[in-house]
Amino acid sequence: MKKEPKDNNWSPSKLNDEMNSVLSTPEASPLQMAQMSPLRRLVASFGLPRLIITAFLLLMFIAAPFTGSDFWTQVSNTINRFSWNAVLVLAMVPMIHSGCGLNFGLPLGIISGLLGATMAIEFGFTGPVSFFMAIVISTPIAIVLGMGYGWLLNKIKGGEMMIATYVGFSSVSFMCMMWLLLPYKSPTMVWGYAGKGLRTTISLEGFYDKVLANFLQINIGTLSIPTGTILFFALLAFLMWAFLHTKTGTAMTALGSNPAFAKAAGINIDKTRMLSVVISTWLAAVGILVYQQGFGFIQLYMAPFYMALPAVSAILIGGASVNKASIANVVIGTFLFQGMVTMTPTVMNSIIQMDMSEVIRVIVSQGMILYALTRKTKGGNN
Amino acid sequence: MKKKKTLRPEGNPIVRFIRNNTVPIMFVLICAVCIPLSGFSPSYLLNEIVTRMGRNIFLILCLLIPIMAGMGLNFGMTLGAMAGEIALIFVADWQIWGIPGVILAMILSIPFSILLGLLCGKLLNMSKGREMITSYIISFFINGLYQLVVLYMMGPIIPIKHFSIKLPRGYGIRNTVSLLNMRQVLDNALSVTIAGVKIPILTFAIIAVLCLFVTWFRKTKLGQDMRAVGQNMEVARAAGINVERTRLISIVISTVIAGFGMIIYLQNMGNLSTYSSHSQIGMFCIAALLVGGASVDKANIGNVFLGVILFHTMFIVAPSAGAKITGDSMIGEYFRVFISYGVITVALVMYEAKKRRAKSLAGHKLAQDQLTEDKEAAQ
Amino acid sequence: MKSKRTLLIRLAVVLVLIAIGAVMMVIGRGHTVYFDNVALDYNGTHYDALYKVTVYVKDKQVAKLYAKERGMATWIGQNFSMTLEVIETKGGDEEVHTIHVKLPYNMDGIVLNLPALLQGLPEEAYLKEFVSNVPEVPVEEEPGSSDEFDFGADF
Repeated sequence: MKKEPKDNNWSPSKLNDEMNSVLSTPEASPLQMAQMSPLRRLVASFGLPRLIITAFLLLMFIAAPFTGSDFWTQVSNTINRFSWNAVLVLAMVPMIHSGCGLNFGLPLGIISGLLGATMAIEFGFTGPVSFFMAIVISTPIAIVLGMGYGWLLNKIKGGEMMIATYVGFSSVSFMCMMWLLLPYKSPTMVWGYAGKGLRTTISLEGFYDKVLANFLQINIGTLSIPTGTILFFALLAFLMWAFLHTKTGTAMTALGSNPAFAKAAGINIDKTRMLSVVISTWLAAVGILVYQQGFGFIQLYMAPFYMALPAVSAILIGGASVNKASIANVVIGTFLFQGMVTMTPTVMNSIIQMDMSEVIRVIVSQGMILYALTRKTKGGNN
Repeated sequence: MKKKKTLRPEGNPIVRFIRNNTVPIMFVLICAVCIPLSGFSPSYLLNEIVTRMGRNIFLILCLLIPIMAGMGLNFGMTLGAMAGEIALIFVADWQIWGIPGVILAMILSIPFSILLGLLCGKLLNMSKGREMITSYIISFFINGLYQLVVLYMMGPIIPIKHFSIKLPRGYGIRNTVSLLNMRQVLDNALSVTIAGVKIPILTFAIIAVLCLFVTWFRKTKLGQDMRAVGQNMEVARAAGINVERTRLISIVISTVIAGFGMIIYLQNMGNLSTYSSHSQIGMFCIAALLVGGASVDKANIGNVFLGVILFHTMFIVAPSAGAKITGDSMIGEYFRVFISYGVITVALVMYEAKKRRAKSLAGHKLAQDQLTEDKEAAQ
Repeated sequence: MKSKRTLLIRLAVVLVLIAIGAVMMVIGRGHTVYFDNVALDYNGTHYDALYKVTVYVKDKQVAKLYAKERGMATWIGQNFSMTLEVIETKGGDEEVHTIHVKLPYNMDGIVLNLPALLQGLPEEAYLKEFVSNVPEVPVEEEPGSSDEFDFGADF
């Protein structure tokens, strides 16, 4: 006779429920808020860590001209990095809305994008066309992989985040084997002497390097804005916003913020979750392509391994929670995060002669995720 | 409407056995295929496995206590590994060699381990219900702090005497620190060679002591408290157990053990990769434990031993087997990485699925009981 | 009171651990000992190098030195002992000496001048610190390897 199931307190099944009121919502009840001074209200609603990070970034920007680095170049760098990463962070939004939590399995979508990119080059496309062909080829791959991933997540509702992380890792390591085995022949991509197996880094010169960035680029002195990329991101963001306001999109949002209501309203939970996973995976595929065109290289093998973490912390920094995220969160978060990544090295280097940027980036981004994970849940079943 | 589930234990015993032990069985199959392919001789394999057992079992044992206390897989064992590494850096700089060096490193690691364990435990107490992913992120976070200390503060702020350890630029530790002077001192101290296989008796004696400690610990009041907390936090709290403190202690003990384990591991390797030794330790140890049949809420010493043997056999034979099959040696290396991550994924998925099944079965049983009650009441 | 007793026990454990640590630091201190079979002048007197000296440390032959040669051995602890088979002049008899030298704690590398040692000269004559005159070749390395999965790493 089966005994009563243990009421596991650690259980990953509770992970999602627990994460439900993390961050963004103000830490005080409306009554308390009304009684606070305006300053405290600002802190409570904006969130202390985000204030600290914003202040830190402002400090960097102010200090920049004094360190001998050109202010406007720094700004351009920040905007550039923002443009590369924004779409990847945008990919977090659908799954957050549908209650699947933070998409630690982003590498799956990234792999679809990588497959699309390499195949586009293999089939002989060059120039700007290769970029769009890459998107075209990645799309069916992303849909298939997203469906499989979504099916898995539906089977393990509640334990999504931990398992997503490991699904991501397993698929990246699996693809490492595949990059060596798949029959690619294009000379720009394979190892020279062996003649088979893809190289670790593939240059995109002659293909779609900077294809969006150079489009309508604005140059004022040393300030250069990659307008094309930003327009592309704006287009996708707009589409996402529009989608979230359709009937299906609203159903998705309801799933995350109020699952009981959604169920009562007769929304097909599994199908909606699956849809959100597919969209997220597809956005990740496009996102890595946008990143590559800005960066100039395709990075294979172990590169996508940890790529989910910066996107996760970026959106958390932007104010999202595990079940609520807006486009504004994406923009603010990516800007703050990339700003920090860009500014810290140059400023720190000139002030203390030590380049601590990598370490600082790790501490801040992981610290942000930690902060989100350790918040007390409001009225949660803790 | 789903068809009615029977309430007998699902399926016949064989199916149940396979389902409960999928991961170890899978591994046995993989090894069975790869071992003949790899072309290694049995004595070579045996030697390697014994060496790796001596090297890793201490580390993996540290995972048992948090599982007992209901905190899941302790990815934070990396913190203990870092404490051990810091201790070793100092010992190497002070030029203390041999077994005294190892003992000194262990003693020195204790305060660091306790500090890091306390931090980790406090953070985990603040995130009840999501301990695993929190400990996972903590290991990254502390890695950042570790790099801050070892890469920037060692040298200028923390005195390090020897230039051979420091980076050419004057501060920070090099990528590898040679531990040649304590290489394998524990293993060689009392080793016996049987049929060409070198057995490090002293190392295994130390491991046996830890196993005894873990077994004894389960029976102490503290150990019982932990098991109670692991079963159900609220009930334990109602029974008067200080839940937070118990969980904290479980993490601290785990971290200290991990520190010692890392020192044993490194003295066997003879070489400290300052920035990468600890990063995969957590993942590999957890994978090995899961391969041995442990789950997220249940693990015993048998799982540890079985897991080490199976996991490391796979680890050793995969590259050569891969090379024989595909002609490319890198394939095997990627394959074993893939398998390590895959096994954790499978174990996590199965754990979740099992819980949902148990929950739905309990729900069905409850419904059935209600029905029979109503029927009796109506009669 | 129980808590006072626990405090005392904890304090005792900490002290014991510190004591063990201190002991380990002393008995585990490693040194590299170099032997020079080189002539030296001390206090006006000239001492010749030996014709041939064979050095045994822990019953293993570590060096066979003719004039002007240097050998080395590693040693753990502060009390260094070695056995020397000395042939002072060519064609002379072989003499066996067992010598104990107390090694100073703070030196990593120690150079012992064998002729001076055999003559029983004071420490300042036969012992000096080994200073490497080979300049440290700064191997350029990228501090802190990347997050990339380290495939070379054997687990």
